[in-house]
Amino acid sequence: MFAVCMVGLLITMVLAMVRAIAGPTVFDRILAANAFGTQTVLMIAVSGFLAGRPEWLDLALVYALMNFIGVIAVLKFVRFGNLASDQPGRPT
Amino acid sequence: MPIEALLFVLLVVLALAIAHMRDLFAAAMLFSIFSLLSAGMFTLMDAVDVAFTEAAVGAGISTVLILGTLALTSNEERNGPFRLTPLLVCLGLGATLIYGTRDLPVYGDPGAVVHHHVAPEYIEGSHNIHIPNVVTTVLASYRGYDTFGETTVVFTAGLGVLLLLGGAARRRDPEEEAAPQATSEVTS
Amino acid sequence: MDPAAILALVIDALSWAFLMGGAFFCVVSAVGMLRMPDFYTRCHAAGLGDTMGVALIFIGLGLQADGDLMVLIKLAFTWAFIWITGPIATHALVKAAYARGFAIEDNTPTAGAAHAD
Repeated sequence: MFAVCMVGLLITMVLAMVRAIAGPTVFDRILAANAFGTQTVLMIAVSGFLAGRPEWLDLALVYALMNFIGVIAVLKFVRFGNLASDQPGRPT
Repeated sequence: MPIEALLFVLLVVLALAIAHMRDLFAAAMLFSIFSLLSAGMFTLMDAVDVAFTEAAVGAGISTVLILGTLALTSNEERNGPFRLTPLLVCLGLGATLIYGTRDLPVYGDPGAVVHHHVAPEYIEGSHNIHIPNVVTTVLASYRGYDTFGETTVVFTAGLGVLLLLGGAARRRDPEEEAAPQATSEVTS
Repeated sequence: MDPAAILALVIDALSWAFLMGGAFFCVVSAVGMLRMPDFYTRCHAAGLGDTMGVALIFIGLGLQADGDLMVLIKLAFTWAFIWITGPIATHALVKAAYARGFAIEDNTPTAGAAHAD
């Protein structure tokens, strides 16, 4: 049953990757990268159960954290033009 | 395993797409996906600590660093003249690396050299001092002083980053103060 | 059949249902992300996988944890974390896009509305 779930997740990853490559706008790519990160978390959790190693959940937890921080950093860059200021700057 | 084969194909497709891309911001996003993919593959191959590093460094830090670089330079890749030397260097390096893999043991080979050096001793020792995770045993017990030094370095680096960021937030740049679109938004 | 076997069967069936439902929601969200006409509707589709897909898959995995408390706690933490951060990330994304001047109806950036907070 984990294998079937895994197939579904892999299909999702492929589709999200198509959206990331196709674009067309910057935000579509960020959205696709975010969705891809969530799918990676799910894939690691499910593959841990698939391999009989639920300890991989630690990894899934850290990936979830990392993904969120990455998306927020990217959005801050897109919105403000750099990573250190909190004021809108020139658009890039 | 079929899953790993599929992930490999995805990696190659993604690498080609990145090479084809002219928008550098899009390439940075695709690079973060690339890192997540390879981290997932490392996990499936049971190299959990490598996957950890790949996700933290590849998808986290280097994306942020690339974006910081893009903030200082342009967002578009300029089409320069075709140069032969870099291509030859890349091909030569790739060929050398592929040639090097011929000496590596087969994936999952129990007779590989690395499994017969000190690893059995560490695993035995880990059992004797009752730490369930072998990596933790090696890092915190067998290489305790080494890890202590690393932790000091990381702590110092964190302090330095905090000092830099805190200083930038408090001291306002006089040039930005003069810019018309910035002055209307100053609140703090 | 003794009660333990029936219980195991019920738990297996339940986790099949939850895992398949989660995978279904994930695939649906990806298809939506691919097929929806503009950025905001794609965000809506992506949110589906972030919340419902993750929840169903994690419940399904939790049923298969054999009552291992540590695994259940980790699952719950990951789930709670994604449930909080997923919508926040999507919200921040939409807000950034809106601030950059993406019109709601069509996909064209409008120059006049840029940086309107």
